[in-house]
Amino acid sequence: MLLKSQEHLSVLKVIIITALLIIFTSSLSVSTDVDDSLAYIWPLPAQFSSGNDTLSVDPALCLSVSGKGSGLKIVEEAFERYKAIIFEHEVEGVNSHSVFNNFRKRRSRGFDIGTLKIVVHSDNEELQLGVDESYTLLVAKNEGLSIIGEATIEANTVYGALRGLETFSQLCSFDYDTKSVLVYKAPWYIQDKPRFAFRGLLIDTSRHYLPVDVIEQIIESMSYAKLNVLHWHIIDEQSFPLEVPTYPNLWKGAYSKWERYTVEDAHEIVSFAKMRGINVMAEVDVPGHAESWGAGYPNLWPSPSCREPLDVSKNFTFEVISSILSDLRKIFPFELFHLGGDEVNTDCWSSTPHVKKWLRDHKLTAKEAYQYFVLRAQKIAISKNWTPVNWEETFNSFASNLNPRTVVHNWLGGGVCPKAVAKGFRCIYSNQGFWYLDHLDVPWDEVYTAEPLEGISDPSNQELVLGGEVCMWGETADTSDIQQTIWPRAAAAAERLWSRREAISTGNITLTALPRLHYFRCLLNRRGVQAAPVLNKYAREPPIGPGSCYVQ
Amino acid sequence: MWVLGVTERRVMGAFWVLNLVLFLVQVVGIKGAHGIGEHGVRIWPMPLSVSHSHKSLYVGKDFKIMSQGSKYKDASGILKDGFSRFLAVVKGAHVVDGDTSKLDQSRVLQGLNVFISSTKDELQYGIDESYKLLVPSPDKPTYAHLEAQTVYGALHGLQTLSQLCQFNFSSRVIEILMTPWIINDQPRFSFRGLLIDTSRHYQPLPIIKNVIDSMAYAKLNVLHWHIVDTQSFPLEIPSYPKLWDGAYSTSERYTMADAAEIVSYAQKRGINVLAELDVPGHALSWGKGYPSLWPSKDCQEPLDVSNEFTFKVIDGILSDFSKVFKYKFVHLGGDEVNTSCWTLTPHVSKWLKEHSMNESQAYQYFVLQAQKIALLHGYEIVNWEETFNNFGNKLSPKTVVHNWLGGGVAQRVVAAGLRCIVSNQDKWYLDHLDTTWEQFYMNEPLTNITKSEQQKLVIGGEVCMWGETVDASDIQQTIWPRAAAAAERLWTPYDKLAKEAKQVTGRLAHFRCLLNQRGIAAAPLAADTPLTQPGRSAPLEPGSCYLQ
Repeated sequence: MLLKSQEHLSVLKVIIITALLIIFTSSLSVSTDVDDSLAYIWPLPAQFSSGNDTLSVDPALCLSVSGKGSGLKIVEEAFERYKAIIFEHEVEGVNSHSVFNNFRKRRSRGFDIGTLKIVVHSDNEELQLGVDESYTLLVAKNEGLSIIGEATIEANTVYGALRGLETFSQLCSFDYDTKSVLVYKAPWYIQDKPRFAFRGLLIDTSRHYLPVDVIEQIIESMSYAKLNVLHWHIIDEQSFPLEVPTYPNLWKGAYSKWERYTVEDAHEIVSFAKMRGINVMAEVDVPGHAESWGAGYPNLWPSPSCREPLDVSKNFTFEVISSILSDLRKIFPFELFHLGGDEVNTDCWSSTPHVKKWLRDHKLTAKEAYQYFVLRAQKIAISKNWTPVNWEETFNSFASNLNPRTVVHNWLGGGVCPKAVAKGFRCIYSNQGFWYLDHLDVPWDEVYTAEPLEGISDPSNQELVLGGEVCMWGETADTSDIQQTIWPRAAAAAERLWSRREAISTGNITLTALPRLHYFRCLLNRRGVQAAPVLNKYAREPPIGPGSCYVQ
Repeated sequence: MWVLGVTERRVMGAFWVLNLVLFLVQVVGIKGAHGIGEHGVRIWPMPLSVSHSHKSLYVGKDFKIMSQGSKYKDASGILKDGFSRFLAVVKGAHVVDGDTSKLDQSRVLQGLNVFISSTKDELQYGIDESYKLLVPSPDKPTYAHLEAQTVYGALHGLQTLSQLCQFNFSSRVIEILMTPWIINDQPRFSFRGLLIDTSRHYQPLPIIKNVIDSMAYAKLNVLHWHIVDTQSFPLEIPSYPKLWDGAYSTSERYTMADAAEIVSYAQKRGINVLAELDVPGHALSWGKGYPSLWPSKDCQEPLDVSNEFTFKVIDGILSDFSKVFKYKFVHLGGDEVNTSCWTLTPHVSKWLKEHSMNESQAYQYFVLQAQKIALLHGYEIVNWEETFNNFGNKLSPKTVVHNWLGGGVAQRVVAAGLRCIVSNQDKWYLDHLDTTWEQFYMNEPLTNITKSEQQKLVIGGEVCMWGETVDASDIQQTIWPRAAAAAERLWTPYDKLAKEAKQVTGRLAHFRCLLNQRGIAAAPLAADTPLTQPGRSAPLEPGSCYLQ
């Protein structure tokens, strides 16, 4: 059985590649109807071709998994999720009183697609930065003689298979006339892989607590846009919602006893995300943005009246950091760990007598002490087998002393990643002018055209840009409005991070991207995600008047 | 597991008496909690009567449902599903991995025994929604008890029980504080509605289901589905298959199977669906598929009163409705009818002349014709108040008048002997973003209605979520928490309602956070400040859910 399917595969691959070559060299056939010339897949696959067939999908669609990874439940569970999405509307049943006779005829012939074949080559389900997310997808009519008809996804890893399933689900649409699920423009040949390995979304559970259910809704919606890193900014000055077993008073800094996450909750979030191919990158932001730590351990403050940054002069501070990182290491398997390091105002250090004395004793200026703090925290993270990520201020202030493994997280503006990669550091792009979702005045097209490789031409330097991240800071985002603030703009960035640069950077995006983004936003709505209208002047504004989802 | 038939109702009755006695013995010296939210009672909406003490219990790992002696057999699984949902929301907030077998077993509740006396599971207007809930004290735990006439009363009891449960961050199990609890509860009004509008914006099925879920949390029981309006006609009508050509787009539509799915989803949660077919105004979209329903191509509303086809179509629609919408009422709209197209269009104006009608008589003729058709399909009728205001004495006695324009209408309606639903727009229109939750809370349906036989004619009230600026992205945050304020007004006995809204602020904030915890995008309670409006405002700044 297994061998046989492997054989099919090589055939599948050859066919897809040949088909793509033919179609790409002859350029995409452009129909006069603008809508039809676009592929309503978001983000746009690396390579694809389509035809003119319409295929029906059996509501009793079966899954057949093969390859070394066929025993992994990640694919099976994902298939069940997508099946529920694809068959959201009740499909015309055998017993229903239908007036749609055409469909009856089709029924008697059976459906074009009865089985989704998924081939996963590897049984390694470790999810890490750079995991192979590529896949090929073929949806074609089985002409009887072919061994590769119907729908087939082939991937090296389960995570590639997940991306293929998402794409497959976007090809399926409910047809209201026949009451059936159809794939238009078949045969589809798709060969796809992400442009960047790191495609992130930041959430902030310190400014507003987000219930576990809501975080899971966000993760689910990320998977629809093929984002793959949830950057969890857990703690900040306002609240400390996470349990840290070694220092059990830390979460006394939570807003209330109900607004907390247990270690098990965090595990649950990580595992929920993994089932969807999404890594969770935890952040413990030090030494600034940490006032809430002192609610449980006031010693961490320079003084009760001057509470931030964390007291650099005490060993206790680093003991606590080390213990937090030890506890978190057991929860977060992702190799990247975010240590923050942004917006550090060192006034409390120079104005608090015992810290000031310590600075003098160690012959450090406040600025040097900031560097000392960050580097010491980095060492702790590295000792726990983590790769540190730091906000760009650390790079801007003392680049040459940063650990060479550091990933620099840009946010303040443009031009930072070029500098970071020139010095050999890896970089994540989050230019606040475009990719801060709490900046409500940035329209979709500015999010879409922001380019992580801007100003970086050397290919070896380009490779140091891991990707980018959109940031949903939580000052004015809670359960009631977070999804509508994230979407649809996060999707614009998601395509930038996934799709080939050439494919999405030329031409008039109002014609090539906007209708597809409209479509994707409505798709999110259909899946129950509160994505806001695309065209409003400010993000998350209500629709300005009655109208179709597809034009608002 | 359904353990059949040994225990009789009488025995259950004795059980309640016994428990009440035990309870009274236990709580001698402890003041009964009759006030608003005193002693930390956080149930929303506040039940008819609540007594509790101060001991805590744990909910066992394998907490199960029993139904010893229950006559109700749960053939369609309504109770079983309701119990699964109960467990899901209770356990959904945090990972429950504490081991209750290691706790003092005398403090662990093993299950819930449900006794339902009616065998029927038909959901209809006016069914008995009462329930009694007893959560025992730690000295005699094992089972909590829930007694109800109908399975829908039992579902309300489960909602209440879910609000008593909370996650204990130390033991990692679910606990119930302040036991024993004895709760006796029933709604003040039989009709507790929320309107959604799928014509101004299409709402996808998962969104409608999410709205229904959240309604059940607040014990609302009627989803008034304003399906069609001027802007779009999203529903399939098999008898007239071109009607949904008036949808915004091919995919912004509901099949009849979708509608049936919504009705069934709602029914499983004890919620009726009141379908609305708004005629003769607000119906422009009908003509996309059948242009002859317009007076003319350039004067498209109201529906052509002179054309027999118009009434044939209404008959076809209501015939199709009656197969899916089983609630005893259908809403026929009848609001905001501007008849100028009738007088301006030659063939209609000729018809008016021939029938010796002026336009307002034609409006009356239209509404009454539609009423007759609805009655023939077995429906009782709801009409917006303009019909009453214009020709109240001509309306079918089976009409329920739906108030919206302002206060004072209900008293005139019930004085005329008709039934009424209260939705005065200044207080209960959710699209009025400047109306505060306090105003929603304080709006009293029985204002100035003192005679008890007239009070009975007010069947309830409804908050209206008109869809002009509401789509999938913001509907829940516009509905909640303000709809919850009205939900308490409609559920809780008048004497137990707060005399001033601010007395319930903490409890409502708590309910809003509970909605959030259950994944519902309820907005902050939001003060009315220059920067925020009371409806659907984003939080102004960082802070706790419980304080915003």
